[in-house]
Amino acid sequence: MVAIDLAVTPVREANQRIRALAAEGQDIDIINPDARHHIGVGLVTPTSVRIHGSAGYFCAGLSDGARFEVDNNVGWAVGDNMHRGSVVVGGNASAIAGVAIRGAEIVIRGNMGSRAGQVMKAGTLCCAGNASFLAGYMMYGGRIIILGDSGERVGEDMTGGTIYVGGRIVSLGADARETDLPAQERLEILEFLDRYGISFHGSLSRIENAGTKLRYGTPEPRSRPQPYDRGDEGGAATGYWNRRVREDIAIKAQIGRYRIRGYGASKPMPDFGDIDFARDVEKGLAHPDPLAAVSLETTVGSRSGAKPLGLSMPVMIAPMSYGALSRSMKIALAVASRLSGVAENTGEGGMLDRQREEADQLIYQCLSGRLGWNVHNMQRADAIEFYASQGAKPGLGGQLMAKKVTPDLAAMRGIPQGIDLRSPSRHPDVLGADDLVIKIEEFREATAYRLPIGLKMGAGRVQHDIKIAYKDGFDYVALDGVQGGTGAASTEVLENVGIPTLAAIQEAMDGLKEIDAGNDMDIVLMGGIKDGVDVVKALALGARACAMGTSLLIAAGCIACMQCHVGACPVGIATQDPDHEQRLEVRTAAEKIHRYLETVRWQIAALTLGLGHTDVRQLGRSDLVALTPEAAALTGLPYVPKRAATAA
Amino acid sequence: MCGIAGIFFKDGQGNRPVGHALVDMLDGCQHRGPDSTGFALYGAGDDHLVLRFLVGEGPEREAAIERIRSILSDFAATPVEERLTGVTWRVTVAFAGDIQAFAYALERGAKLLSVGRRLDIIKDCGTARDVDRVYGISGINGTHGIGHVRLATESDVRPEAAHPFWATGFADVAIVHNGQITNYWKMRRALEQRDFEFRTENDSELIAVYLADQLRSGASLNAALERAVEDLDGTFSFLVATGDGLGCAKDKLAAKPMVMMETDELVAIASEEVSLNRLFPGRQLNTSEPPPGSFATWSRSILP
Repeated sequence: MVAIDLAVTPVREANQRIRALAAEGQDIDIINPDARHHIGVGLVTPTSVRIHGSAGYFCAGLSDGARFEVDNNVGWAVGDNMHRGSVVVGGNASAIAGVAIRGAEIVIRGNMGSRAGQVMKAGTLCCAGNASFLAGYMMYGGRIIILGDSGERVGEDMTGGTIYVGGRIVSLGADARETDLPAQERLEILEFLDRYGISFHGSLSRIENAGTKLRYGTPEPRSRPQPYDRGDEGGAATGYWNRRVREDIAIKAQIGRYRIRGYGASKPMPDFGDIDFARDVEKGLAHPDPLAAVSLETTVGSRSGAKPLGLSMPVMIAPMSYGALSRSMKIALAVASRLSGVAENTGEGGMLDRQREEADQLIYQCLSGRLGWNVHNMQRADAIEFYASQGAKPGLGGQLMAKKVTPDLAAMRGIPQGIDLRSPSRHPDVLGADDLVIKIEEFREATAYRLPIGLKMGAGRVQHDIKIAYKDGFDYVALDGVQGGTGAASTEVLENVGIPTLAAIQEAMDGLKEIDAGNDMDIVLMGGIKDGVDVVKALALGARACAMGTSLLIAAGCIACMQCHVGACPVGIATQDPDHEQRLEVRTAAEKIHRYLETVRWQIAALTLGLGHTDVRQLGRSDLVALTPEAAALTGLPYVPKRAATAA
Repeated sequence: MCGIAGIFFKDGQGNRPVGHALVDMLDGCQHRGPDSTGFALYGAGDDHLVLRFLVGEGPEREAAIERIRSILSDFAATPVEERLTGVTWRVTVAFAGDIQAFAYALERGAKLLSVGRRLDIIKDCGTARDVDRVYGISGINGTHGIGHVRLATESDVRPEAAHPFWATGFADVAIVHNGQITNYWKMRRALEQRDFEFRTENDSELIAVYLADQLRSGASLNAALERAVEDLDGTFSFLVATGDGLGCAKDKLAAKPMVMMETDELVAIASEEVSLNRLFPGRQLNTSEPPPGSFATWSRSILP
């Protein structure tokens, strides 16, 4: 036993010592914890940690294999995402006890706060006292044992798993139902309670998912999205009630709900084509070797002192999930990232081993459902990205239709297979900028302050949100405009929610300027970035780098049918069906993406040179003009409509 | 976006270390809001009215004070004691008229931070330790108080945007709030139609005025909070203080944290237990969390 006194040792240092002592096989006593946050976060070596008092938020969070004992109370999110191991809390637990656990055993001897076991995947959360509001909210698996009263709306929107209640069921949540308790399950529970020295002789109620909300009802007929024309038809049908409008109404009349499709917004909105370079760039285009003449190397995320991402050019691959995309496509992107020296991003749903091996640098995303999220993959990533929202569907979680939720994918994400997966729109442990500060610190503790922590943010009220991101201490922000793609989203949201990428970067720069933030928090802009021309314009407006998604899928062979959500991608990119996936050859796809990225590199170099610079960092607003009044209004660039004519 | 703290000594002696306790508690949760820190401190009080104004530090300060003096004289309020500290001017006056009209008029002179016979609000940019250094908060004793650390999200980092908020027009009522009231404009318009004036667009000021209005129409603090939990939409954990009482309320979604402890001597409430442990280092505290949609109050009926 070795004691660490938190009255004199900061938690960051204490966690380092806990890891070192655990590696030596020592058990640890924590003295004077006084409800401090993050005790034991990131511990992946089996040991025993006894906390003599109360622990704060995220006690034992993002850990695997250790046994924690807390004498008194714990704050929010005890045992967050814990794999194996256990936490026994002598007093009460605050909100979201056992959030997102993946196999651990969490025992609370007192009462527990609201939303206990939210998005848990496996393992046991046991509360000897009463639970509060929304216990088992959106749980995917595992079991919750509540020996006291259940609290209101127990099992709200649970997908899988089981909840047992010894006291009163105050009220059942949406899509939860009470069932009989098989004798075998009761024995297993009593065995569990006995193991933790909890005596219980009462009866237990059993609650499970009622199965009314796991799948959409009537399927949507297959169709190809119609163009946004207004004068496409003569005769009785006016352009106003054009084919697109009529088809939309007819399909909704059939299915009785919103429609879903892949890709991003298709309606005309201001974009990078509405701004132009302020000077002729022929000099750069005519240069025999722009790549030799221009410095393109870019780092992202050095603000906090973490090791930044090092990119061979100011480009990275946009986050797209294994799930929306096939395994082959994710591996092709990883290979391409290595060939072109840029960063790949896991998106939602976890990290593939082969993807990690192939990728030059790999960003690991944390989404609200914590699907495929775990400390081991965090520790082998090159950056962590906290997903708040995305440009194609700000404010909503991911969607993955049942055809894509295969057994393999479901196991990786920790969810039941064959459901229409709708990820939560909110993170369980972040309901405001104040909570987010504590969450970021948890990530830093779990990765020993080594990795940049970024924020993925859909463009909504960017001017405010970017300030919050800055104050919360993010190393970079990945900012995604409405032109950004997605594997599946409601068409109304795709077309009507969010602001254009062009407006988003300007709002971000304006917001940062308002708080005198300088340039230390990098902005990675994405959302419809097509080529090196767009990248150079984005950089000139203030972005540090750009991320490309849809354009790279097209490079790999995507035919833009916009039916990514269906799961029957004709070219094997956005599918989990082996027959379809085999149409994509990893090596060929990777080479195509790589070749395309190299043309992007050449464009960036040539245009930068053409504008009179030798380093992409020298690009600035004076390199640009607006071609339309709208683009001028959005960006504040001078309105010079004749530029397009002279360039032509 | 923020952290809150409150402390209430049950004996009603005006010499309890309220300032010191709040500085410690807020320092404990400063990570929740580094931009500004504020305190609403309640003393034993007397017949005089304590006014505290935001007057700035530059040349505008003298002009602001002159404007205030002129309005004070219009209302025949005689300054008894005055003091400049940090960016504020604190003046004690003898005044027995209608406080609402008085306060609305004074707002035209300079930003009025608080009015009360017991209440004094001190708030500024910076951390709890920063504000303590300038204003000597730790040395201020009293009966009870509430405090706040703020992370500015939509409004600027300015002392007037810091919490606590005084219930503009109502002596001795102050509030600290963590969360966001989503039916702000609807409720504000209803109050404005009844001639209440708002000095900020901050939802916390709305809660303060709403509660003070209930109290003035004869409701108990308990009854006012019961209605507030029903009427307010959004996410909130807030503390309200009056001349002789303290109350807390939490929204039905339980989206914002709040932890409390009560002993024979005191009640302490904070966003996080780490703040409570600052009062009692090394001790295992018997704490509890208010359930969703709940409220509680404490008061001293022995006070006049």
